[in-house]
Amino acid sequence: MLKNHFKIALRNLWRHRVFSFINITGLSVGITACFFIFMYVTFELSYDKFHTKADRIYRVVTDIKTPSETINTDVTSWAFAPNLKTDFPEIEAFTRVSGGSFLVRKGNVKFQEERTLFADSTFFKVFDFKLLKGNLKTALTAQASIVFTKTAAKKYFGDADPVGQTVLITGDAIPALVTGVMQDVPENSQIKADMIISMVTLTQRFNKGIEEQWGNYGATSYLLLKPGVSAKNLQSKFPAFMEKRNGERSRKSQMFATLLLEPLKDVYLHSKRGGQEVGSISNVYIFSIVAVFILVIACINFINLTTARSVERAKEVGIRKVVGALKGELASQFIGESVILCLIAFVVTIILSVLLLPLFNQLSGKIVSPGIFSNISNVLILFGISVSIGFLAGIYPAMVLSSFKPVMVLKGRFSTGTKGNLLRKSLVVAQFSISIALIIGTIIVYNQMDFMRNRDLGFSKDQMVVINTNSDAGKDAFQQSVKSIPGVKSVAMSSAVPGGGNSGAYSEIENKKGDLQIANLDLYFVDFDYLNQFKIKMVAGRPFSKDFMTTDTSQAMILNEEAVKLFGYSSPQQAIGRRFKQWGREGKIVGVMKDFHFRSLQEKIKPLSMRVELRALDLVSIKVDAKNLPATLAAIESKWKEVIPNRPFSYYFLDEFFDRQYRAEQRFGKLFFNFAILAIAISCLGLLGLASYSTYQRTREIGIRKVLGASTPGIVNMLSADFMKLVGISFLIATPVAWYFMHKWLQDFAYRIDIQWWVFAVSGILAMIVALGTISFQAIKAAIANPVKSLRSE
Amino acid sequence: MLSLQHISKYYQVGGNKNFVINDISLDIDEGEFVSIMGPSGSGKSTLLNIIGMLDEPTDGFHYFVDQAVHQLKEKQRSALYKQYIGFVFQAYHLIDELTVYENIETPLIYQDVKGSERKAMVADMLDRFQIVGKKDLFPAQLSGGQQQLVGIARALIAKPKLLLADEPTGNLNSKQGEEIMELFRKLNKEDGVTIIQVTHSEKNAEYGTRIINLLDGRVESSRTL
Repeated sequence: MLKNHFKIALRNLWRHRVFSFINITGLSVGITACFFIFMYVTFELSYDKFHTKADRIYRVVTDIKTPSETINTDVTSWAFAPNLKTDFPEIEAFTRVSGGSFLVRKGNVKFQEERTLFADSTFFKVFDFKLLKGNLKTALTAQASIVFTKTAAKKYFGDADPVGQTVLITGDAIPALVTGVMQDVPENSQIKADMIISMVTLTQRFNKGIEEQWGNYGATSYLLLKPGVSAKNLQSKFPAFMEKRNGERSRKSQMFATLLLEPLKDVYLHSKRGGQEVGSISNVYIFSIVAVFILVIACINFINLTTARSVERAKEVGIRKVVGALKGELASQFIGESVILCLIAFVVTIILSVLLLPLFNQLSGKIVSPGIFSNISNVLILFGISVSIGFLAGIYPAMVLSSFKPVMVLKGRFSTGTKGNLLRKSLVVAQFSISIALIIGTIIVYNQMDFMRNRDLGFSKDQMVVINTNSDAGKDAFQQSVKSIPGVKSVAMSSAVPGGGNSGAYSEIENKKGDLQIANLDLYFVDFDYLNQFKIKMVAGRPFSKDFMTTDTSQAMILNEEAVKLFGYSSPQQAIGRRFKQWGREGKIVGVMKDFHFRSLQEKIKPLSMRVELRALDLVSIKVDAKNLPATLAAIESKWKEVIPNRPFSYYFLDEFFDRQYRAEQRFGKLFFNFAILAIAISCLGLLGLASYSTYQRTREIGIRKVLGASTPGIVNMLSADFMKLVGISFLIATPVAWYFMHKWLQDFAYRIDIQWWVFAVSGILAMIVALGTISFQAIKAAIANPVKSLRSE
Repeated sequence: MLSLQHISKYYQVGGNKNFVINDISLDIDEGEFVSIMGPSGSGKSTLLNIIGMLDEPTDGFHYFVDQAVHQLKEKQRSALYKQYIGFVFQAYHLIDELTVYENIETPLIYQDVKGSERKAMVADMLDRFQIVGKKDLFPAQLSGGQQQLVGIARALIAKPKLLLADEPTGNLNSKQGEEIMELFRKLNKEDGVTIIQVTHSEKNAEYGTRIINLLDGRVESSRTL
């Protein structure tokens, strides 16, 4: 019986090639999309779970309460973790990690290594990063020890054994001993590094005494708890610990830190505090929903096409029943057919997945999967998905088909009935609702992207080249030499540029009442040209100026409008001349600048202070002429090589650098866009099949109408109108749903668009046009057919 | 072999009962060749379908080889039916996607006959109807007469005791029709298959042993030849 069923299934598929093609294409594309999303979601969920002790590892984060605000940071001071370990026996081990960017040299090979970490010697004990060479326990114990990843080691040492060799780190060319080679950090690790330097190098040498500074934040601390220890319990003892160890200092500085524990496994997706790499659980949800949607759409197609075609199969059902088939046997035959179809789709999916995986990895910005077959369980899951779709989608058509009464169908007194029609129509409505909702979502995502790219940020970022001198001694000389290049319009130096990180400083500023108010202020160190070059406007007072050289280099501060508001002033003027204390400097506020977006538009503009501190300016921003850009860049590079030969030359454009903050959103937008296209394409495939079927079914009606005098356009209208009604209903359903979700999505952005009514109109019209295009071909074909032919065939 | 007692079939239209079969009682013995005649709408096909268990009467008692069909569950009915009844249609009703060979084989599949046995039985049948050369053709490649031969071969493959034929020659020309009728007569005489056919043709009816005339759902006359 199986062989017979198999044979008839294949012959059926072949006989109705177009339907089969539509069906298999729709299914494979749908399953492929789902499969990719599935891999993406499992990848996102897999972050940091490869550590065998992941369940016991916690990240210590800090809420710092100042008189004006509470800062939720993902870091601790260097003092916390060692003292916690001393006080609490529940802690098995701790490891602190802090990132840096270092110049690393080995002979002529030199790179500015951006992904360098300082880490405690326990790093390899707490985490499961595999050490390929070297001693796990001692690799990071001595000062100036460095562990390379395999890839990084290859860069410097080629195939030679790096262990025991020396590299020079930092501009001061400190020799560091290579004590190990570790496996490359897995893609799904939130902690990312190319090389690791022993923490004692920082705490004993570069920044001696940092472990006693309880208010100096910057280390990420991880605790490994002993088995069976409750993190919640432990955390509840932290306030007493902080009071005992740091209570007095806290009261003096008016900064109170609360320590909290975050499970390592939640850091990547769930923490709102950030980290080296941040995921988004809501994106995981959104994509999961999209995957389900696409799968549902594909299944609906399948069900729709199969049941619509049931009239053709009805005769076969009747005959089979007459020759003795039971309902169950027939049902299993049809379910079997649907499973066969899905297995074909499975094969196509495998091919598609292999072909599209590189593209998908690129689109998602990381190696979600190195290859489909690298994880065989993925393929098995895919197989499982395919077979279950075959079953699920096959059940309804099988029930319908196998319940036909042979007498009815064999006599030809047979209609699919209005009940089946209603079901098919509601399925089409469901498909198009999903599609329209996705279109609306896509447009809104793109609008928001566009809005962020084009919003006036309050500073100029065009044609601005930024070079990080990494505190090299030659930085001032370099800046001077660049000024003489013809294509260079102006040069400024600073400690930070918009879009990048900047310090936060413990500050005391005179508020409206005349008291010194404590606050954590974002801080930019700048030179005299900075405000002018970045076209940051002043709203009160004066900008920094060389005319006030002595005052401005040590006793002057400029605040932004947000800061002025924070200290209670109703107008910027009132803040001028007020006192400040910050990082050992005291002086007066000389000016107030207009707010500008120094962070991404996801964040509200925060209070910002600027001071001139000529020794702390690492970044050289060069405003260049758009003409002859390559020549200008080459000239800058040659100056660099002249003045700072020890360091590799690298630069970035400020506008690109700033937009980099939206990379995740852009990626999200692109993925979303692609899946929306997919959804609508699959829906249209289904519509195409259904339209061709329904016109086929109405051939006789069309013939009669034409004989009675209906015009071709009239018939096209009649055939299209039915489907257009369905699209209209879908639009009504999709609009509020899409509005609700997109409204929620937009809440993540501090500066966002209002959702415009035209977005919905455009989406609706777009869906209409696409649907109409799909249907009209069939409708026109049916309408221009000779009625005599269709009537004779009855 | 079968007995119908006060069989009625009607549809409720508004408040009225619209009778297709109106209180028919009928006994048919093994070895009979019955022709059912009557004008369009007299209930011939419905009666045949009820006998063949493809349709259920609204009222009445239906006995087949001493079993009360009206009391059987669908599965039991199907089993009974599979074992005893073969059906031939005016429109042949072959499965378009299957070859001649496979069409004939299908009933055996549903009776769980083993593969090797099936092969032998189908080969035998092909031989008997002299259509061996056509076994790999699809129905669309055959003439009407040939298709009906296949239809009959399929009906007979499971060695039914009762062959039901609904205007088996309706779509055929007179020569083809005659051949089919001769075949029926032979089946009836030589193999002892009980045959009930519905026909419009007086001439074809004459091949049988009894002619039952229906009018408006009632037996108008019954005459043994």
